[in-house]
Amino acid sequence: MEKDLSRRDFLKNAGLIGLGAGTLLSSVPWMSALAQENTSKTVGEKVRIGIIGPGSRGRFLMNFIKKNSKAEIVALCDIYQPSIDEALKIAPKAKVYDDYRKLLEDKNIDAVFITTPLYLHYPMAMDALDAGKDLYLEKSMAYNVAQCFDLYQKYKSTGRIFFVGQQRLFDPRYLKAMEMIHEGRFGEIQAVRTFWFRNGSWRNKVSDPSLERLRNWRLYKEYSRGLLTELGGHLLQVGTWAMQKLPEQVMGAGGITFWKDGREVWDNVSCIFSMDDGRRITYESVISNKFYGLEEQIMGNLGTVEPEKGMYYYESGTKDGSPAKPAPGFMQMMTDVQNRIFEKLPFAGTSWEPEVAKDVKGNYIMGEDYKITTDGTQEAINAFIESVITQKQPERIAEECYYASAMVLLGYDAVEQGKILTFPHEYRLNYLNHKHQAKQTL
Amino acid sequence: MKETVITVRRKKIEIWTLVVCFVIANLVNVYAIQKFDTPWNELFWSLGYVVTTTVVIYCIWSVIRLVVYGIIGLFRKKRR
Repeated sequence: MEKDLSRRDFLKNAGLIGLGAGTLLSSVPWMSALAQENTSKTVGEKVRIGIIGPGSRGRFLMNFIKKNSKAEIVALCDIYQPSIDEALKIAPKAKVYDDYRKLLEDKNIDAVFITTPLYLHYPMAMDALDAGKDLYLEKSMAYNVAQCFDLYQKYKSTGRIFFVGQQRLFDPRYLKAMEMIHEGRFGEIQAVRTFWFRNGSWRNKVSDPSLERLRNWRLYKEYSRGLLTELGGHLLQVGTWAMQKLPEQVMGAGGITFWKDGREVWDNVSCIFSMDDGRRITYESVISNKFYGLEEQIMGNLGTVEPEKGMYYYESGTKDGSPAKPAPGFMQMMTDVQNRIFEKLPFAGTSWEPEVAKDVKGNYIMGEDYKITTDGTQEAINAFIESVITQKQPERIAEECYYASAMVLLGYDAVEQGKILTFPHEYRLNYLNHKHQAKQTL
Repeated sequence: MKETVITVRRKKIEIWTLVVCFVIANLVNVYAIQKFDTPWNELFWSLGYVVTTTVVIYCIWSVIRLVVYGIIGLFRKKRR
């Protein structure tokens, strides 16, 4: 009962109850999988799921799958026995494989979740789609842009259901924020500044040195693209979602500046993604200082949204965005006098004054009483399961996920090569402002 | 403690001083309304600021007077 209530609350918050093909569904069509009129038709159905790579992330997802009565975890595959042991505690009846190809041959499995290290995504996902399995792939999609494009084409040609773990697409805070942004409440979005700061080594303790690369795959270039693919994809997807525009170019810089422990991926990286009209999305990660945490700052000429905090702020400083009432003339004059006396810099006699950030309390995207109970992962999994049952791929989700991965991978290449890179036309989809052009026609 | 007497003349001077301060504060308000192009009803709605400014000007004027009278008094003492 509690589960039904929270789900109902989510749908209500997201505006999906009673909306049918309403306003929200037209801008976020992937939510149609969760619309009441669709989910009520699939009651009693059961999707049989195999998990390839039930490590920590895999088990995290398994817990959400277990909460869905329309799904059952029937198989597990891993080469690391401790992961299998832990996963069996969640799904004790699951059949265990040590070769994912054998799992894919199992006709008893409808869909697979792939939660393996990044470098394995492409071969496993291609094989899964070829085997006729519907696929939920953890982000990022693949190890490079070419692989992502191949995988997208494979999804299109096989017609299977294909989701990538971009759970913000289902997070009520983000859905509501995007609705407000696309209504124009914050004016035209001029820039999106994203960052993810942590203070930690990102390293797992390894008892046996021979397992170092297996357990700490995120730290080695052979297996991972580091902070960009592990963190950046989530944030950049929010940026293009807000702007409804895809970048033309990317440049960046990165290095190992603090955690000099033998790792190969950068612990300090920054990228600028620029649109054809000069607007930008930036991404920055440092893992030796966590003061600013994680955020996407979506900046319009009328206001700013910080969906991670669940807040928005108007430039005017007022609650409803109306123009701020000017202070009485007397107060303005006193402030003027005060500024002349106290705030003028003592050197050089300049009129420059530090423009520090406004200390504005802001407004809550979901209302003051809203408690964050989901980051969208449960809803993303529910939507996937519904889609597998109905065999209807929700619109735009594969494209949003493709670009989230392709952008960070291109960003990685830009940092690695120290160049400004243009998004290759042959890897563009016909999506938003991008148009695909086959290589030979360029 | 010595009994002190505030003469009628002194009272009149202080009241007039306060009135002058109040007028000056209002003139400052008129100037501010013109300069920052704010509504004229602030002549009434900003009375709180005006009264506060009146007191501030009065206090400053009082301090100036005390200092001046103090210096004059010192010179007179020396001459005696």
